[in-house]
Amino acid sequence: MRWSVAVLALVAAAPFSSLAAQSVARRVDAVREGTVRLSYPARPGVCGNGDGGVSINSRRGDGVQYWGGRICETGPVRVSIGRSEGRTISVRKWVGGRWPSASDATDLGSVDPTEAAHYLLSVAPTIGGRNANEAISAAAIADATTIAPELTRLVQNGDAPTDTRKDALFWLGESDILATEFARLYDRSQPFELREQWTFVLAQRQEGPTLDKLIEIARNDSDVEIRKRAMFWLGQSHDPKALQFLHDLILR
Amino acid sequence: MTSFFADPRARLAILIAAAASTPVAAQTIAQRLSTADRPVQVIYPTRQTACGDGRSYIGHVFDDSYYFGTDDNTMYRRGNDWSRGPCVHGPTRVVATVFGGEVTRLRVYVGPVPPVSSNVETINASTADATAWLTSLVTGDNARLAASAVLPLVLADAPDPWPLLLRVARDNTRGMSVRRDALMWLGQGAVAHLGIEQKRDDTPDDELRSQAVFALSQRPKAESVPALMDLAKTAKYPSAKRSAIFWLSQTGDPRAADVFADLLGLR
Repeated sequence: MRWSVAVLALVAAAPFSSLAAQSVARRVDAVREGTVRLSYPARPGVCGNGDGGVSINSRRGDGVQYWGGRICETGPVRVSIGRSEGRTISVRKWVGGRWPSASDATDLGSVDPTEAAHYLLSVAPTIGGRNANEAISAAAIADATTIAPELTRLVQNGDAPTDTRKDALFWLGESDILATEFARLYDRSQPFELREQWTFVLAQRQEGPTLDKLIEIARNDSDVEIRKRAMFWLGQSHDPKALQFLHDLILR
Repeated sequence: MTSFFADPRARLAILIAAAASTPVAAQTIAQRLSTADRPVQVIYPTRQTACGDGRSYIGHVFDDSYYFGTDDNTMYRRGNDWSRGPCVHGPTRVVATVFGGEVTRLRVYVGPVPPVSSNVETINASTADATAWLTSLVTGDNARLAASAVLPLVLADAPDPWPLLLRVARDNTRGMSVRRDALMWLGQGAVAHLGIEQKRDDTPDDELRSQAVFALSQRPKAESVPALMDLAKTAKYPSAKRSAIFWLSQTGDPRAADVFADLLGLR
């Protein structure tokens, strides 16, 4: 009896590896009209209540977590993709829970998380708004190999909506990109809103290279307003170097 | 020529006269309010710098570029999107809502006085009578009323009320809102006393210094209050000193009162 349960578990885990040859993108694109569902494992530290609430904790806590009195499930990430005239027009995500039983959606089942993440990031620039936000965050919480290069391209994509680029920047800051490499990506020519977001995201990393970059922005950026934003975040830092910089600026 | 108000003996004479008349004067306004059956507006002379439009904002309480919304008591600086009427020097008008013989709310205006209305009773008060009445409110038990009487008191064309506001700010038994308002105006008074009011737009360097002070002010209180106290006393740039005084005044920390007393030369 125990063996049969174990075999069933293995069979259930197999689908996304055996279907790897057929990309998520092709399978989604095959649906011209309607809704496509897919799911994939969430990365460690992510859980949700199945109803849209998602918790992301970098500390991988042991034991059961709760969200509003409900168990915070550690996966899967469930994504619903709206399709119209052969194009993806909407994206929504959930962590945990189950799909409603009665639906005419095309269910792709469990897919490879890296492929799913790449697909979601590829549609983000064109769908914009909340849909892009959902697509990017759904990609960011996938138990995928690094998506930092795709996020970087999205941040630097001048044709994408600024809000979408800001979302990508936020998740890039939260990704496994090295702090030095991340800090190097700051670009003074980007729109104000994006540079403003940079000051926030750099501050969230709380690492030496990102702090140095924040100080450099506060000291040298050509835009006084951006320098002021950088200063605000330096004030929130626990690093004595940040506070020393502020004191020096006031007194020099 | 020395101004009358700059002569210490003249100021002392005014203070003595005001003190001597306080009980009767306060009673007079308070008595009239206690029998009022409708809102009462108390009108009295305003300090020389202050102006307003008589209905929505008050500006230049000191010789600076700050404005206060009279509806929401917000503080702001006049910007390019300014769309309100001209700031006119005129009397201060405190409209008291009276309920069952008790004052329940004060609203304050400066500038043109609206036409007389039968809906509102009017008291044209002397500065001494008005300040005596407002002093009794600031020192009274009604915490909300006390806090809302601080600005009307500061606006009066009378000797600065700093000694009274220092007592209020240092009194741990008083409500936080009145202590905070007292500290806020003590800070503004200190800035004016030091002659470092913001009269025009800051240079970019000044803006950045002010922002750096603000950033420090957002640190946990155990760090920010000592840092702001130090900067309020020692910062050499007016923008940094002014900003430190302002953010220190917003902390509600009683130690700020000692700093302001020093800056005002009152300790």
